[in-house]
Amino acid sequence: MAFLLPRTTALPSLPLKARLTPLAFQLQTRTRNANSNAHRTLISSAASPATEPEPESLHTPQPTRRQPLSAAQKLYLDKALRVNQAGELAATLIYTAQTPPLTKAHPHLRPLMQHMYDQEAGHFKTFNALLAKHRIRPTAMYPLWQAAATVLGWTTGAMGREAAMACTEAVETEIGEHYNGQVRELLAWMADMERKGEEVGEELRLLVGEMRRIRDEELEHLDHAVQNDAKAANPYELLTGVIRTGCRGAIWVSEKV
Amino acid sequence: MSLTPLALRNVLRTPASLRPLLLQSPRACYHSYEHTQPPPYRDADAAILSSALTYVPAQGFTQEALTLGAKDAGYLDISTNLFPKGAFELVKYHLVTQRLGLKDRIQFPDEKMGVGRKVRSLVLERLRANADTGVVNRWQEALALMSLAENIPTSLRELSALSDEIWFLAGDVSVDTSWYTKRASLSGIYAATEIYQTTDQSTDFKDTEQFLDRRLEELRVMGGAVGNTLEWVGFQGGALVNLMRSKGVRI
Repeated sequence: MAFLLPRTTALPSLPLKARLTPLAFQLQTRTRNANSNAHRTLISSAASPATEPEPESLHTPQPTRRQPLSAAQKLYLDKALRVNQAGELAATLIYTAQTPPLTKAHPHLRPLMQHMYDQEAGHFKTFNALLAKHRIRPTAMYPLWQAAATVLGWTTGAMGREAAMACTEAVETEIGEHYNGQVRELLAWMADMERKGEEVGEELRLLVGEMRRIRDEELEHLDHAVQNDAKAANPYELLTGVIRTGCRGAIWVSEKV
Repeated sequence: MSLTPLALRNVLRTPASLRPLLLQSPRACYHSYEHTQPPPYRDADAAILSSALTYVPAQGFTQEALTLGAKDAGYLDISTNLFPKGAFELVKYHLVTQRLGLKDRIQFPDEKMGVGRKVRSLVLERLRANADTGVVNRWQEALALMSLAENIPTSLRELSALSDEIWFLAGDVSVDTSWYTKRASLSGIYAATEIYQTTDQSTDFKDTEQFLDRRLEELRVMGGAVGNTLEWVGFQGGALVNLMRSKGVRI
């Protein structure tokens, strides 16, 4: 007569019919776990570059890899390089739009703006070549980023020297953190490959070297901007907050689209 | 990885929706030069489909061709259960192998050839492959199969992959918005030319070549017109801004 009493514990919910074979069940759980692991790749890191790991294979020429990169690694590189190209496009357009109003009011800034623009143009060329070489598609939001970057550069240039430098500071902070994250992720791969005894391969080694150089130059731009009174901009918190949020959103969208 | 009888049994016992998980092929996104891509089909599938293709001129893109191919390759009739989409898998096999074989069929030793001329040569070579493998007389059946609702996503994916392959082999290195417009327009031109080829009775497909030339000319004229208009708009905008600056407006 126990079935007439109210139940105190929940009934276990079993399927009425087991539809999956054991192998199919295993495959399902494996993909579910793989999908939850996929979110753990580094997107950005605010940690200082001085604390980065330095695997030995970074400085020694490598023989060709025997193991192909995994599907997850290829997907990560695909997204990372697409976002980087979009970022450099935006940077070159911001400087192009900022320079005329800025150098008209402050002619002594012309060499600095020229130097920063030249470096960004070099980065843009590097990433264009990488995308074409590795057959990665560029972001579909390309024309939208062209317009947004031009408008951003133009308005901050028109707002004055401090605002333009604050814009540069905000963008370079976001980009710097983003590159930091990517470099750390790739260095982690290299350390993993060394630990397993696999060859790292020239492709990956040179890529990491290039990205570190570009990251260093971006952080140098950040320093230049701060030296040129970026923090003296009038709506400093608002300006940098809006620009940094916009950058983060643009990075997120460019990874997907 | 060759398919042992036990592995084949495991594949057939997995529900169809989960079979792709057993055969994890990475999405072709980042193309590495240090490693060749793994073959798109496993050995057993490739053996059955390639021998089935030899029966297509006689049988068409049908289940019979698949069955005859399976028997020819030394497998049982029931092995065609490996291909749940039936004849469409045969069409897809032809599309995939011809796309991947395109770089071996044609090379460009002459560096002075422009990208446009190379694209034309690549498209013609791919169409010639349809004729060489003997499927061009049965290609209308294949097009009908590709246009079925459940096959449209795969067909479009293959078409865009072919377009990307052709532009890559032609040496195109632009990675801005034109990446998308070039591939979209070439997909359209290739699809139209392939349909035209199925009705072409001229010797050596000369009419198809001229059809392609007319489409490429249209594309060139249209692209030039759009580009020139955008350039004009840009110049007008720049001139307006400079005019205002010269009047003292602080922008």
